[in-house]
Amino acid sequence: MQQRALVVGVMIAALLAAFTGVGVRWSSAQAPAGQRADGAGGRNIAGSAEPTPRLADGTPNLGRVAGEKGVWNVPYITNMAERIVEADGTTLIERRQSQGRGARGAGAPLGGGEGTTGGGRGGAKSEPQVPFQPWAAAVYDYNSANESKYDPEGYCLPPGGPRMMATPYPMEIIQLPEQKRIFMVFEGATHIWREIYMDGRPHPSGDDLNPTYLGHSVGRWDGDTLVVDVVGFNEQTWIDYYGHPHTDLLHVVEKFARPTKQQLRYEATLDDPGAYTKPFSVRWTIPWNATGELTEYICQENNKYLQELTDDFGKPIFGRKQ
Amino acid sequence: MRTKCAVLVAAVGLIGAGATAIAHHSFAAEFDARQPINLKGTVTKVEWMNPHTYFYVDVTEANGSVTNWGLEMGSPNGLMRAGWTRNTLKVGDIVTVEGTRAKLKPHIGNARVVTLAATGKRLFAASSQGDTAPR
Repeated sequence: MQQRALVVGVMIAALLAAFTGVGVRWSSAQAPAGQRADGAGGRNIAGSAEPTPRLADGTPNLGRVAGEKGVWNVPYITNMAERIVEADGTTLIERRQSQGRGARGAGAPLGGGEGTTGGGRGGAKSEPQVPFQPWAAAVYDYNSANESKYDPEGYCLPPGGPRMMATPYPMEIIQLPEQKRIFMVFEGATHIWREIYMDGRPHPSGDDLNPTYLGHSVGRWDGDTLVVDVVGFNEQTWIDYYGHPHTDLLHVVEKFARPTKQQLRYEATLDDPGAYTKPFSVRWTIPWNATGELTEYICQENNKYLQELTDDFGKPIFGRKQ
Repeated sequence: MRTKCAVLVAAVGLIGAGATAIAHHSFAAEFDARQPINLKGTVTKVEWMNPHTYFYVDVTEANGSVTNWGLEMGSPNGLMRAGWTRNTLKVGDIVTVEGTRAKLKPHIGNARVVTLAATGKRLFAASSQGDTAPR
């Protein structure tokens, strides 16, 4: 809940920034052409769909088939608000696609601009489907106004929660049924892995639940769907690149399904009574790259962005103090 | 024609590789997408490192003075998926760079496409702005 304490400072900084014009760009300047696809679906799925691979016991295999290569090409999803399943059962991206417009197609995207290239972002008021609490809306407006300048991933910190499935580097899922656990190995963000306990244990409680970046994950199979329950997040991450905040009360329930060999369907329900007034669900599809393999990516090596980052008053945050 | 073939091969490779572009820090916070740059010069230094590869180019201005530009690309893993190796760019190479100017720092930019003068080959730089050349 320490985020609440930060809000006052953040709001003051935002007001000062707005007053001086530093970093504030509400203009609707058009971002340039040449955006890549936003992972909304399908472009890597070529040819006829192959059936779900399965382990010897019949459980869906969410990883490689023995003797083959392959990784999940995690898409770049910059704004979770576009992926929220709304009252009619669809997401903004899906509605846009069904109208023949791509994720980066015509029409102003939610939030008012392009994720990585600026062009003005609308903040909380442009996202009525996000059940912000007032302080969370203020933090989000601040992150919108400075175009995600203080994104933790820019500091080479890991994503937390569903952002792991939205940070665009390859990922592998390795099931160890005899050991009753599953590993998810992420090349990117910061070369991270997460362990999902499949042995039926509960989450730790009280002080035994130590807040971490990736949280504590327990999983079970519901038919052909892997259901993972995650709690115990720290507050050092954002829900997405756009900067939707969360608190350490965040509880995520993830569902993974592989209806064909080429597709991983991902859905996550986020319940954070510290930042939002009600739970909401997001979903997208992660395509299989049948020839991919993981490589090394150590973000911390030479992070000039972090070394040179300044605060809203122009002072170095991590670099040599003046 | 060879150049066109190379571009086509690169483009197909990118589609096949999928998430080749690497997102690390906020592109919008550092670079101004409304200020494209197109530089030609001689490579003076290459830092093949995470989370971004940087290279430096001496650019001769109209008045004859020489300015050293620093240019950011993707990380080595992303660049290798886009067809690069650590020896693709070498000190002394003459290159043309299409990219975007930094908001606050003079002579710093984000490279989106690098063309080697010796071969005419256009290489996509796994930029966090996107894979393709400006249209």
